[in-house]
Amino acid sequence: MRRTMLYLPGNNPNMLLRGHLFEPDGLVIDLEDAVSASEKDSARVLAREVLRRGEFGRCEVTVRINGLDTDFWRDDVAAVVSCGVSGVRAPKVESPRTVLDLDEELSEAEEKFGVKRGSTKIFCLLESARGVWKAYDIATASPRVTAILPGGEDLAADLRTGRSKEGTELEWIRRMLIVAARAAGVDALDTVFPHVSDDEGLRRETAFVKQLGFDGKSVIHPNQIPIIHGIYAPTEHEIETAQRIVEAAAAAAARGLGAVSLDGRMIDAPVIRRAEYTLARAGLPTEKR
Amino acid sequence: MEANAIKTAQAGTLESMDCLVVVSESDAGRAIEISGGAAVRFKASMEKEINDTLDALGAVEPIRISVQDNGALGVVLGARVEAAYRRYARLAP
Repeated sequence: MRRTMLYLPGNNPNMLLRGHLFEPDGLVIDLEDAVSASEKDSARVLAREVLRRGEFGRCEVTVRINGLDTDFWRDDVAAVVSCGVSGVRAPKVESPRTVLDLDEELSEAEEKFGVKRGSTKIFCLLESARGVWKAYDIATASPRVTAILPGGEDLAADLRTGRSKEGTELEWIRRMLIVAARAAGVDALDTVFPHVSDDEGLRRETAFVKQLGFDGKSVIHPNQIPIIHGIYAPTEHEIETAQRIVEAAAAAAARGLGAVSLDGRMIDAPVIRRAEYTLARAGLPTEKR
Repeated sequence: MEANAIKTAQAGTLESMDCLVVVSESDAGRAIEISGGAAVRFKASMEKEINDTLDALGAVEPIRISVQDNGALGVVLGARVEAAYRRYARLAP
């Protein structure tokens, strides 16, 4: 699950060591915007050592590396791949070529450090109109791509507008990205909600992106985590229905049947996957006991 | 002036759970100075962390390591020493 992925400033030991205690689904150690140019080297060493320590609870751990148009990204890749990180978040991706370049660098690093080839996933931040326009091509450029994410501030600037609380400027982009992500078979993760004290605004935006189909949001403050988890939590009725679907599917499988009917509705593989996802979000076992 | 300039480099901060490490030239050997709340209680383990880190980096020249600690765990201390020494010795990342 990637309902919440918490950004941690890459040069801040306090947050790097404690971020997982707030129990987001994932952590994003940020070596890009959160670190000044003069501290890139120091942050990279710190992030590498904290990653090696590996105490992150149950969080999926990723690193936002510096852009492929900088002098920093290759060193970032080498440092984090050597620790077996789950994935890297690539900023300002505008073309499949960028993904292929990163894929190649990751492969070389995996070989060098004895990490299973292909195990380091790529999360693509689409922070320009050009990147959004090529979302599907970017998402299918490499099997490593596991998610695409719209940018926030950079994207608004590229569109020659600004961020509004209503998210008007991102509305069409979010709809486009969810279609591109689903067509490509990757996750769609929404951008951060920057107003950290506006809980109601966060609830409204999260409910909107959840309804569109987004798998979660990036998070910049720990207080946002329980609010988003609350929005993504299934209702009792949804849980009960999901449990009945999983049980019916298991019973059908035990009888050697590929499909089954429940309450007059055909239960097939996509419905079962959806039910299992609902149970996972509720923190329940996804298999019939 | 140039001939007397002391070569130094530093890394880290004085924020909570961090430490500020300064590496400078020394007349002879490796000198380590630690200040901060945990300096007395954890001096031996901190010195070991510093020495292990410098040895792993192949630091053989005479240097003085000054650490101002604000509750840094060993992993953070090691990272800050490494970053400061890399800057001092101009090592590649």
